[in-house]
Amino acid sequence: MVKLIGRRLIQMVLIILVASLLLFAIFDTPEFKRRLAVQELGGFAVSALSQDAYNEWLARRGLDVPFYQRYFNWIGKIVQGDFGFSYEKNRPVGPLLADRLANTGILALCVFALMIPISLTLGVLSGMREGSGLDRSITFLSVFTTSIPEIATAIILTVVFALGLGLLPAKSAMIAGFDPWQLVLPVLTLVIYDFGYVARMTRASMAEVMTSQYIRTAILKGIPYRRVVMKHALRNALIAPFTVIVLQMNWLLSGVVVVEVFFEYDGFGKLLLEAALFPDVEVVQACTLVAVVVAVTSQIISDVGYTFLNPRIRFS
Amino acid sequence: MKREETTRLHPKAAEAKDLMERGRLSRRGFIRVAALTGLSAAAAYAMAGLPQPAYAQSMADLPFPEPEGTPQMGGILKVGMQVQKMEDPATYSWTEMSNQTRHTLEYLAYTTPDNVTHPMLAERWEASDDLSEWTFYLRKGVTWHNGDELVADHVRWNVERWCDPNLGSANVGLSSISALVEEVDSGEKNEDGTAKMVKKLRDGAIELVDDHTIRFKLSKPVLSFPEDMYNYPTAILHPSFEAPFSDNPIGTGPFALAELVVGDRCILKRVTEVNGAPFEYWGGDVYLDEIHYYNFDEDNQLTAFASGDIDAIYEFGVEQMELAKALEGEIIAARTAQTLCVRFQVDKAPWDDKRVRQAFVKACDNPAVLPLVYAEGGDVGWNHHVAPIHPEYFELPALERDVEGAKALLADAGMEDLDVTVDVGNTDGPWQQTICEVIRDQVKDAGITLNINVMPPSKYWEIWDKTAFGATQWTHRPLGTMVLSLGYRTGVPWNETKYANPEFDAALDEAEAILDVEERRAVMEKVEKILQDDAVMVQPVFRPVYTIVNAKVHGYPAHPTQYHQFNKVWVES
Repeated sequence: MVKLIGRRLIQMVLIILVASLLLFAIFDTPEFKRRLAVQELGGFAVSALSQDAYNEWLARRGLDVPFYQRYFNWIGKIVQGDFGFSYEKNRPVGPLLADRLANTGILALCVFALMIPISLTLGVLSGMREGSGLDRSITFLSVFTTSIPEIATAIILTVVFALGLGLLPAKSAMIAGFDPWQLVLPVLTLVIYDFGYVARMTRASMAEVMTSQYIRTAILKGIPYRRVVMKHALRNALIAPFTVIVLQMNWLLSGVVVVEVFFEYDGFGKLLLEAALFPDVEVVQACTLVAVVVAVTSQIISDVGYTFLNPRIRFS
Repeated sequence: MKREETTRLHPKAAEAKDLMERGRLSRRGFIRVAALTGLSAAAAYAMAGLPQPAYAQSMADLPFPEPEGTPQMGGILKVGMQVQKMEDPATYSWTEMSNQTRHTLEYLAYTTPDNVTHPMLAERWEASDDLSEWTFYLRKGVTWHNGDELVADHVRWNVERWCDPNLGSANVGLSSISALVEEVDSGEKNEDGTAKMVKKLRDGAIELVDDHTIRFKLSKPVLSFPEDMYNYPTAILHPSFEAPFSDNPIGTGPFALAELVVGDRCILKRVTEVNGAPFEYWGGDVYLDEIHYYNFDEDNQLTAFASGDIDAIYEFGVEQMELAKALEGEIIAARTAQTLCVRFQVDKAPWDDKRVRQAFVKACDNPAVLPLVYAEGGDVGWNHHVAPIHPEYFELPALERDVEGAKALLADAGMEDLDVTVDVGNTDGPWQQTICEVIRDQVKDAGITLNINVMPPSKYWEIWDKTAFGATQWTHRPLGTMVLSLGYRTGVPWNETKYANPEFDAALDEAEAILDVEERRAVMEKVEKILQDDAVMVQPVFRPVYTIVNAKVHGYPAHPTQYHQFNKVWVES
């Protein structure tokens, strides 16, 4: 187990090193540097700058050294906990990232808190009696909601609940401080999009368990159906959904760009998009680092959790 | 003494009065001329026999409009707008940036939404009879937020700074400032080995007459000096300025920056004291306590307004008009000279062949574009970038679409089956792409294939003056001559078409030397015609600008350039 975690962590460090080296290389072109200058000084000023003045600007920004040198500097700073400086937002990346991660964390927590019970309940109900009317309805609902892209769901919900009925705020910019009501629409959008997938996975797992021999034996022994489901089936049926749910963490971190941007919710995904468009390279680097860490961590949790839940699995 | 100076009638104003009396100059035209030559607006309105609008009554001393109704003190105005960095106001490249500073930093002049330019930090100005010398008399008792008094030397410091070639301020492109500089050898070489020339301030171009009087000696007559002094990068900074402005936001205005989080919020608070003493704002009563800008992408501003997060927005696009109509709030439409220039670079193939450009232009039907893009408001453009709302607009005969002529020209140039790609950045909304799509369908009839390369706005601004064929948005400017000077004069920095025609430059010089609107209009015929005939662009639409404001907000101005000036705005509590 320790070996497994260790291996994953080494993997994680390697991915971060390679990904950030690639990013530094990609963002090293003269065009990129010029674009950064345009963002900072304005297009007109840059075109009017003399070569000397431009070189001076590059030096001031530390962009006059080769990318691998900047790469090593960056690693040096990261090790000391310094995430760099955002050109666009004019502030250190560390606190900026912390703010945005906290916001996305709140969003993700709410999504999980709603999505997990809904999808597990529906999945279990559906998988319990494969082919029943209930199963078919749930399957239809899950496939239907999952096939609508988030942006469409977001627009429909906004039009109905915010602009039409006026029940909920249309945007989630939280300009007057934290407001839970402003979380409702983004959370709903994400839950509607995501619950179907997890419900389908749960259903498949449940259905498989329900056809296994020990369940048939238990039923034939005369144990009440309810008890069979709750005591014998459920525990085994929930192993597969567990890993699926843990892996949703990844998606909730960087896959929710569309929802965050649409609702003007200042989360991690929106930050990443803005930084990539600007291009605010140190922010992109820091976001990549966080994304890799979260991806690998969620894999570790999923692997380790799986071993605990299913003693038959042993990693060598 | 001072009184006498104020009432002295500039010869041009006297001439204008005469013209007005003979019916050759509209009354509004007269007021513009009179205001430009330094006659107080109250006097001008009186001479024109027009009732004084709210602006004029306070105009003798203050440029601001009278407040609407009975104002209530206090309150916060929340506006949805992109919140950007505030680095160096002299090199700002976005109106939004200037809105974030416009209540802190002020200008020598102020062009109100009715297109009349009033003195602001200047109390008045005078032009020499040949319009080549402008004297600005600064308002006395204007205090900076550090306690200093505004003096002429501060203005000199600003203007000299704009002329510094290493700063790269777009103000050098204004005809007023460009007439203060001369070309000198920078000591560097161009790629082709020739000496690289830079523009530097001419010796003796600025004269400090006394503490509150500054004189500019121009190398050529310039009409639009006062209008130029409200162009957004010409805000007057304190000489202690160091970029970024947001770190040390000293101004003369009623508000100061309290908090800036780029991409999130910009909070302005009323300045109440300076160095422990109460701050006396020169511009009279200001009602709001705070102005808050909250960052919303343009597509999102209207929905944010709908949920009541904000009281007003920077702008909404025409595609959101139906939604806006369904909301509670006052929709304000401003007629503007904002436009999209689907322009060719005349030194790059295939556009270096005038026949190809002419063929493309002939294949287009300008009046057919507007209703397809803007169902309400707007004006038709005729490929010369002067708008009907410009005072000197000359109405040329309408261009007839000529598909056969276009085909013939293409055949002549050996360019049948012309296949070209236009870059479009939708830099302030998808209307730009829509115009390109309409043009694409039109030129198809002449056998031209037009591909549309849509790119993100920030990407477009990197290449706007480099691409051979691009659709660039141009903002409103109060005079037609101003935009032509910025964009089409030979060698000016914003000349994105690389258009170079001495005949055009000369005609434009001539127009800019004429104060009389009617006479200038006659010269504008030539200017517009040369530019139109040289076929440097298809420019079919002057667009309206829409915004929406909450009913509890009073006196919210709809400026054609979206310049925010909230001094007299108040909110009901």
